[in-house]
Amino acid sequence: MILQTNPLEGALQATVQIKEGNMALAEQFKTELLTLVDNGNKYIIVNFEQIIYVDSSFLGALVSALKHAMNKGADIAVVGLNKDIKSLFQLVRLDKVFKIYASAQQALNGA
Amino acid sequence: MPKSKKILLVDDSPLILKIIGQALEKDGFECLKAGNVPDAMEHLKNDIPDLILSDYQMPDIDGFAFRQSLMAIPEYRNIPFMFLTSIADHDHMQRGMNMEVIDYIIKDTPIAFVLSKINNFLNSIRERHQRTIQELSSAAMALNLYSIPQDAPAVDGFDIHFWHRSYQNYPGGDFIDLITIENKYTFIILGDVMGKKWGAWFFSFGYLSYIRAAVRLCTSEGDLSTKSIMQKINSVIYLDPVVSGLLSTLSLIMINAETHTISYTGAGDLPLLYYNKAECSLNKVSSAGLLLGVSKDGGFDEHVFTMQPHDQLLMVTDGMIDKETPRGKKTDLKEFENEVTQYLGRADSFQDMKDNGFLNKKAQEQIDDCSLIFIQKNS
Repeated sequence: MILQTNPLEGALQATVQIKEGNMALAEQFKTELLTLVDNGNKYIIVNFEQIIYVDSSFLGALVSALKHAMNKGADIAVVGLNKDIKSLFQLVRLDKVFKIYASAQQALNGA
Repeated sequence: MPKSKKILLVDDSPLILKIIGQALEKDGFECLKAGNVPDAMEHLKNDIPDLILSDYQMPDIDGFAFRQSLMAIPEYRNIPFMFLTSIADHDHMQRGMNMEVIDYIIKDTPIAFVLSKINNFLNSIRERHQRTIQELSSAAMALNLYSIPQDAPAVDGFDIHFWHRSYQNYPGGDFIDLITIENKYTFIILGDVMGKKWGAWFFSFGYLSYIRAAVRLCTSEGDLSTKSIMQKINSVIYLDPVVSGLLSTLSLIMINAETHTISYTGAGDLPLLYYNKAECSLNKVSSAGLLLGVSKDGGFDEHVFTMQPHDQLLMVTDGMIDKETPRGKKTDLKEFENEVTQYLGRADSFQDMKDNGFLNKKAQEQIDDCSLIFIQKNS
């Protein structure tokens, strides 16, 4: 499992347990995230604090999962981005697509 | 330089890990070591090795149970697996072979022989792999499927060059197209389907078909706005379940040969880099649009500007700015800007980047396929 989940009040936190989000893991990441959406979770907070690098296929998987979530009336927020990954999100305007917070607690307050 | 092959060595004996590990490293392999199966599974989360060499007899979870759990995980089941054991028992060997294990090495086999076995096996895999890619590439060429054009167009008043390198010789998700309409309008298209290798390459044709159609339809109706072309492309992709599963960036530029103006609209792409010759400065031109297919609206904008003689404009995909560093992989546009600036501002900038190794250096650092389009205004 790439995602370790723990329920929070009004949300589900899914912590990504890998250092490098790349093509080899993108499909599995997407499948796990889609399953969380299909299981009826309405607000999923994806925690990136263990990840140091993501490639475009991994980002693509995250965006695909968000599209699926929105179709099901759910939402995905992203927390724990390191400086480089946060810049990458801004560079390709994913900061306009995802709600980005520093921590899960802030994501809960912002929800 | 091809990267060294990675081998995951799993054995509960620290001595075996040390001896075989050293021999593998001396022979040029990168060796990941695990003293038990849970440790091996931890390694696999971050690194997919080219081969797993595992002991059979280990406390708690033995080699067979390890192999069985790998076979149940689609991402891991095809990693070549060899047993390394001290047991010369034919029943055990047969049991291993039945689990799609490629070989069974007895521990007292001389180490040189073990290395030859591993090298022979990995060489045969590589040859088979290259043959398959070659056959698929020939088939694609026979069908006239190119996601990268053969030549850049000649546009009056501009020099246009492009450079592309696939990652490890796989066709990837980057695509380039150049469309000239009525000798007046040249559209330059650079995109990156956000996946890698064959899947992304296949989808790049779907994207390119929509883009070509949208460019032709809009221009035939007299609509020359890159923003409205992008909106059309986005709305079709947003609604098409076949291509919307994978997302793509797109930079779309139109050069008007009569007015010498450039129009630019981007979708989730990296900023254009504009070198202003008069000011000797490199500036970013950033678009507002989201990745294709993410939202119905896309939030696109359009930049229209005129290039002055000797000004230069660069379009790049993320493969150009990704690199390996001692602290891990990194995406760094700022560093790319710093590196490329020293080549800009000259009449032969693109040739210089090619000849003096900048682009080849990028190709060696690359961890994805990478593309660069270079546009220079003539005097």
